[in-house]
Amino acid sequence: MAAEEGASKIVEALHELNVQTVVSIPKVGPFDFSITNAVIYMWISAVVVFAFFYIVARRMRKEPDGLQTIAEILLNFATGHLTGQIGEKGKKYYYLILTIFTYILVTNIIGLIPKPEILKPYTPTANINVTFSMAISVFVMVQYQGFKRHGLRGYLGSWLTPPGVPKAMARPLNAIFFPVHLMGEFFKPLSLSVRLFANTIAGHLLILVMLGLLLQYGGLIIVPTALFVVIMTAFEVFVAFIQAYIFSLLSVVYIESAIYAGH
Amino acid sequence: MAFDPQTAANLAAGIGMGLATLGPGLGIGYLTGNASQAVARQPEASGDIRTVFIIGMALTEALALYAFVIAIILLFVV
Repeated sequence: MAAEEGASKIVEALHELNVQTVVSIPKVGPFDFSITNAVIYMWISAVVVFAFFYIVARRMRKEPDGLQTIAEILLNFATGHLTGQIGEKGKKYYYLILTIFTYILVTNIIGLIPKPEILKPYTPTANINVTFSMAISVFVMVQYQGFKRHGLRGYLGSWLTPPGVPKAMARPLNAIFFPVHLMGEFFKPLSLSVRLFANTIAGHLLILVMLGLLLQYGGLIIVPTALFVVIMTAFEVFVAFIQAYIFSLLSVVYIESAIYAGH
Repeated sequence: MAFDPQTAANLAAGIGMGLATLGPGLGIGYLTGNASQAVARQPEASGDIRTVFIIGMALTEALALYAFVIAIILLFVV
């Protein structure tokens, strides 16, 4: 009986990972357009990102003040690797990469702030749908750039056996190279989205399970558990930075591989 | 004693997660060791080394996270 109660307390703590409907809208066909807490937190983070850069851009000065310094550090951190990886051609993707970085960062950080039950806490990046849709938009952009720059023949040709291999060998090898490259292209958005989703949900799961244990058992076990939760939350802030950085960095690497395909 | 599917799934999640951390653990160990050695040998290249290190760490870590996702599916969905 006690074990079952314990499980229920921990499961109760895990409710933070559930999507809850806030405003329900009748379904249109198979699509559910209801406004959930995930959608609301995504809106909040989008508004925060927009408001931050809007305020900074409105009061830009030669001698940066506090806010502008933060914004400049963020800009350099998010897009510093862009010209390093791609070169001059990379300037075009500045806004995409900056948006991806700041949006993921703000979403992660807002999700980490402890909130009372009434605000229906949720972290949108702990949802595979959110991360996968971001990864898909990067994937579409990468493929579009690849086809646009190299043409259909050139881009698909870059997936075949590299030049320099004798013709007689290249034909049978193409049967291996092409499917492997094709699969690799489709695994890119998958790994990109699963990485962010799993990192976020792993951190939240760990913290929530620890909090559930704390609620269940109480007593002296509170001290090490609470300490662990505090340290883990601090580590999660670091992970939020690193994951946002990795998502934008890998997007840049994928864009680079499409631009310089066949080299 | 026969396993019911739920028990088997829980067991598989635990054992699979444990096994899946072995490889990435080794990988991140090698990666960090070699990256710190590279920085020690050539401190002026630390910026490039850090970028390569973070990309490598992301790719290595992802393997354990795939197993983690499978474990979650085994625990909560199956």
